[in-house]
Amino acid sequence: MAAWVKGGATDAGTAIGAAASLLARARAPVIAGLSADVAAIRAAYDLAGRIGASVDTAGSAGTYADLASLSRVGALTSTPAEAVGRADVVLVVGAAPWQAPLLKRLIDAKPTRGRAAGSDRLVLAVGANATASLSWPAEGGLVEAVGVVRAYARGHLAGDDIPGQIAARLIAGQYGVLLYDPAELGEAGIEMLQGLAMELSEVTRCFTLAVGGVGQDRAVVPVSAWLTGQAPRSGFGRRVPEHDPWRFDAARQVAAGEVDAVLWLGAVPVARPDWLSRVPSVALVADGEAQAAEVVIGVGQPGRDHGGVLWNEQRAALTYWPASAPSDLPSAASVLGALRERLVRGQAAPRSEAAC
Amino acid sequence: MSTLTLRQAPPERLDFLNINPLALSRLSQGEVERLEIGTTRTGVRLGDCFSVSLDKSDTLTIEGGHERLDRVGASLSEGAIRVTGDVGQRLGAGMAGGSLTITGNAGPYAASGATGGTITIAGDAGDYAGGAVYAAKVGLDGATLIIRGNAGAHLGDRMRRGTILAGRAGAMAGSRMIAGTLAALAVGDHPGLGMRRGTLVLGAHGRMAATFVETGAHDLVFLRLLSKALRGLSPEHADLLAKPLRRYSGDLATIAKGEIWVAA
Repeated sequence: MAAWVKGGATDAGTAIGAAASLLARARAPVIAGLSADVAAIRAAYDLAGRIGASVDTAGSAGTYADLASLSRVGALTSTPAEAVGRADVVLVVGAAPWQAPLLKRLIDAKPTRGRAAGSDRLVLAVGANATASLSWPAEGGLVEAVGVVRAYARGHLAGDDIPGQIAARLIAGQYGVLLYDPAELGEAGIEMLQGLAMELSEVTRCFTLAVGGVGQDRAVVPVSAWLTGQAPRSGFGRRVPEHDPWRFDAARQVAAGEVDAVLWLGAVPVARPDWLSRVPSVALVADGEAQAAEVVIGVGQPGRDHGGVLWNEQRAALTYWPASAPSDLPSAASVLGALRERLVRGQAAPRSEAAC
Repeated sequence: MSTLTLRQAPPERLDFLNINPLALSRLSQGEVERLEIGTTRTGVRLGDCFSVSLDKSDTLTIEGGHERLDRVGASLSEGAIRVTGDVGQRLGAGMAGGSLTITGNAGPYAASGATGGTITIAGDAGDYAGGAVYAAKVGLDGATLIIRGNAGAHLGDRMRRGTILAGRAGAMAGSRMIAGTLAALAVGDHPGLGMRRGTLVLGAHGRMAATFVETGAHDLVFLRLLSKALRGLSPEHADLLAKPLRRYSGDLATIAKGEIWVAA
């Protein structure tokens, strides 16, 4: 097992001991990243609950853009398989979805199921200079652009300029899919896009489909919901899970100097944020390197070194992935369990000692 | 007048939800000093960070604010709280009555969900002032929010009732507005984006979305009444309404019953 403390290679027990002592000293620890299999995400929430940490995810900007819109206006959503099988018109919103593998599948095949089976698939683009049947660069920004298309779909704007034509094609379609990247479109844009899907569903079938999530955020959302009843950004400082997307934003907390220890969970490889180096940190990562954090513990990658339940982008569900190249690296869940055992034995400082 | 005097910067974010004149008037000095206001596992009691002086009155002064003081005056129903200094997020959230005065700056979500009373911020306010917090259906809901300095982005997001006055505001002022009145001397891009109903009165603005249509200049009795109502709160906002006004209607992406008045 690969482990490093302050850049020096060491054994697992010493690294776990160093990590436990770093977390035990902390007033406000944060467990961030959460890019891991379901067992490790569960273990992270268990550890957070026992040490009073707060939790944040690697892709929370996009996740919260989606969740915030969902919590207010609901969502009409489809899955990749349904989109590939049924959609005869696809509106790609923004530039980011063009990088998604799903788009190639949509461009390369015709719909095979439902009322549109066998017809050609029309690809429309808003907010990107893309090669599509109709492309509108939308200089006023994505949110405004989606709003304009929605105004045409409602009949509040009329004319045959490009957004008007896009709205007309969506209305004429049998099964429309609005493809977007939550982090790029943002909360206001997603709410507007859901509104567009709802307007279109008055006259035809139309759904939204988010692509391009970071890490395992899509797995964290249901796991945090079944463990805490809340969305991922929760804190356990006052013993009960409190949900506050602003207060428990890990990047904000580090910038404001409110955090004194971070545990980064990246068993499924994901880019580490810049702020990680600015605070005492422990990293549980599959691609272990000595400089990743103050304490680095190499863990197995679920689906490669050991089996695990991960978000399956293609099926839009949590599925089990067996080990493709089994190794003796420990799972992130087992390391988090060992940390929890050490910290429970060592007991953190009780609440309400004189603090100022 | 009861007074809490900050002795030094708080070591963690503090939650002032339960600190209001009515609650303190029923407690002894010792009980007040032992009130738990910390938010981490270590915790902080009121007496750890503040010197406490009580007189059972309906006025509370917090001497020496800090941007880590969250939910100051939240759910306040009567009495007055005055803070000399800054406060953190959710100032006066869910407030139903009374008055809140801040001499410094406020964090995000000031006056979110406030149904009554008056909140005055002498300095600047963060993003989503008078806006809705996560999963909340509405932002400001009947209270009066006055920001003498600048406000961040999304001022009055999803506000449903009440009045907001601000100096300069960031982008998306009045976004997704349900109803109510918002006046600002200047705002950034995309004012009123996604608004359903409600009234925005602006001295100047950035990019106006294509989903707003200009409907001409009007001289309405309502505008004179509004000017009269605003004069007592802020003469410079009332003066905006004395100028010739262009009216925009929108947001056409929604039911389009909102209006934006722009001083020419």
